[in-house]
Amino acid sequence: METQQLTTLAGVIDKKMNRQLKQYIDICARCAICKDACHQYVGTGDFKYLPARRAELIRQIYKKYFDKAGRFVPALYEARDPDENLLEELYESTYACTACRRCMYFCPFSIDTAWILSVAKAMLIAAGMGNEMLSQLADAAIMKGDQPELFRDVLVSGFKDIEAEVREITGDPSAEIPVDKEGADILYVGLAGAHSIRPAAVIFHEAGASWTLSLFESANYGFFLGDAEKARKIADRYMDEALRLGVKEVVITECGHAYRVAKIFHEAWSGKKHPFRVRHILEVIDEYITDGRITVDPGSVKGAITYHDPCQIGRNGGLFEEPRRIVRALAADFRDLTPNREQQWCCGGGGGIVAMSEFDEDRIKSGAKKVEQIRATGATIIAAPCENCRLQLEQLRDHHELDLHITPIMDLVVEAMPLAGTKAAQA
Amino acid sequence: MSDETKVDLELDLKGLLCPLPMVKVSQNITNVPVGGVIRAVATDPGAMADIPAWAKSTGNEVLKAEKEDGEFVFLVKRVK
Amino acid sequence: METYLQITSVWGTYLAIAVFVLGIAWRVYEWSTTPKSPVPLGLFPKPKTGAGRFGKMLKDTFLAPHSARIEPRMWLFAMMFHVAALAAFVGHLRIIQEYPLLPQWLGEDGMNTFAAWAGGIAGTLMMIAVLYWIGRRTFGPFKNLSVPEDFLLLALLLGVIIMGNHMRFFGHVHAETYREWFQSLLAFRPMLPDEIVHSNVGWSLGTHMLFVDLLLIYFPFSKLVHTIGSFSANLVRSE
Repeated sequence: METQQLTTLAGVIDKKMNRQLKQYIDICARCAICKDACHQYVGTGDFKYLPARRAELIRQIYKKYFDKAGRFVPALYEARDPDENLLEELYESTYACTACRRCMYFCPFSIDTAWILSVAKAMLIAAGMGNEMLSQLADAAIMKGDQPELFRDVLVSGFKDIEAEVREITGDPSAEIPVDKEGADILYVGLAGAHSIRPAAVIFHEAGASWTLSLFESANYGFFLGDAEKARKIADRYMDEALRLGVKEVVITECGHAYRVAKIFHEAWSGKKHPFRVRHILEVIDEYITDGRITVDPGSVKGAITYHDPCQIGRNGGLFEEPRRIVRALAADFRDLTPNREQQWCCGGGGGIVAMSEFDEDRIKSGAKKVEQIRATGATIIAAPCENCRLQLEQLRDHHELDLHITPIMDLVVEAMPLAGTKAAQA
Repeated sequence: MSDETKVDLELDLKGLLCPLPMVKVSQNITNVPVGGVIRAVATDPGAMADIPAWAKSTGNEVLKAEKEDGEFVFLVKRVK
Repeated sequence: METYLQITSVWGTYLAIAVFVLGIAWRVYEWSTTPKSPVPLGLFPKPKTGAGRFGKMLKDTFLAPHSARIEPRMWLFAMMFHVAALAAFVGHLRIIQEYPLLPQWLGEDGMNTFAAWAGGIAGTLMMIAVLYWIGRRTFGPFKNLSVPEDFLLLALLLGVIIMGNHMRFFGHVHAETYREWFQSLLAFRPMLPDEIVHSNVGWSLGTHMLFVDLLLIYFPFSKLVHTIGSFSANLVRSE
């Protein structure tokens, strides 16, 4: 690589610099306490996955280009250029990271490795090494937002099919999946596909909620890619919809990163305060059950059930009790995983890694802790309110031949509701 | 465009949830020659928007995207 | 001997303190003038009030309870080092100003005995911790993760501690004599008491101060800035 290009790549750190990042780079003592916090390092034993090592690559470049002591005595810090060797390792350690931030939880200085890796992603993108699959997924999502007229009819016709199912499930021929309904209280943002819409529609209908469905999915591959501009555009699609329709709240489906993006990142990216609140569908369901707006049969779930805190909903999103309250309302035999809540192990499926086939082998290995945890409970059902978690858990189940049913919480709720319909909730 | 189009690769994407149908089409597009066609069958309705959006943004061509007996059938041509 | 002490324990000390103070000021200035990320990076659950956040930050910084859970042995040695270092620092303040009350209760001999025990224990614990850290960096992932900076700092610390321990265990010079020397530095009328120069601790004070000078000079430019940076980083944890 030429000097000019190396300087440009290193310059990405300077462009992305902020106080937290600077401190994280400056204060890490390389004590490696984070080693055993990382499911990928624990599962694979691969040095490149040690959290402090992932961050160290960025630190090495920073020292060489931007730090006084590093420029004076580079050897002291093993300071180096962002050359092919470094970028190759950086690609793997960065895009494999699920951004679960479990290392941050255990770090004595609370260093957010994922935040450091957001710079690594920007650098990889600048080097033309951004993950291709995530980039394609992000571009396709933006395409849908840029030219909604091309996709509107097919999307709405898909919603009509789901609406027909909802009518059969609820037994109410007037049940609706409203789209573009101005003045609705709730804008519900699902995922592309019926599974995230059908149960929510049933629940909203039964609760008598005033709601409307977003044309767009909440999944955000621009966020996984590490391109803040693309990530913002993807989230803008439904945030603009919410503004246009004048809703009181945006409710995100059972998806981890989408919730965090909507709740925590979007306002910072757009620089504007939302005139509506953002909630997760499980907060809403919890409220409906507590307020008696929907009723559920407390013994509906047969067998031992456990709950997996998706990192972006739990440790990084702040919802610990709502999902547990719902599950306890449906199940007689609830067994928590150990550790749980803010110390929960990442399942290994976050950060978009399920879409990147080059990490398949390490991803399955990185689920070792999760499998151990599930086995220890003896549960045969696991509720996980995140699509990436469920995909990973399904593959772990198949790989380890577990007797395990993996389910979103919404589906369990719908099954537990006394409905007049003839059709079972599960298609 | 009739169903007699020569198909180079068949993909069974039934049961996969979005965006996986689109991921699989993307991962397999290089397995057919330029001008070649993938026939993909998915069951997640989200694919009806996702796969055409992916094709449009990557410069490939969707020859057909139709619902047949509750399944979604796509013919995707590799353009480059 | 006198020249050596003049270099490390007079002029070197002035230089080291100047570099340390200016360096830390520069570091803090750099941090405080870099804009904060607009994205809140906190982890949940977070304290609801500002006081709660502040309290949690102090607890996380001084006790590191999460680190204790994941690697208890490392936590133990780290805690041992930091507590002993704090104790040693507090003990060293005697060379600026004798503590009130304590010497009156214990008497002069009693105070010296107390200082010998306290300083001896602190110095020994610090030495054990530093040796543990050096050992830990010699194998596996810890070795792979280490860079020369880590070993340089550990070597400097070890030098400071060993020389300090030599003065503590083998010297017969007490705090009041060191106070004469240090007070003279503070008054910018540096002098070296004969009692130190012509004793068996002359060279160990000189070498202790050599390592101290180097450590202080390098401090603001090394990862040791975690001593101040960890407060704000731990505060970010609950923002």
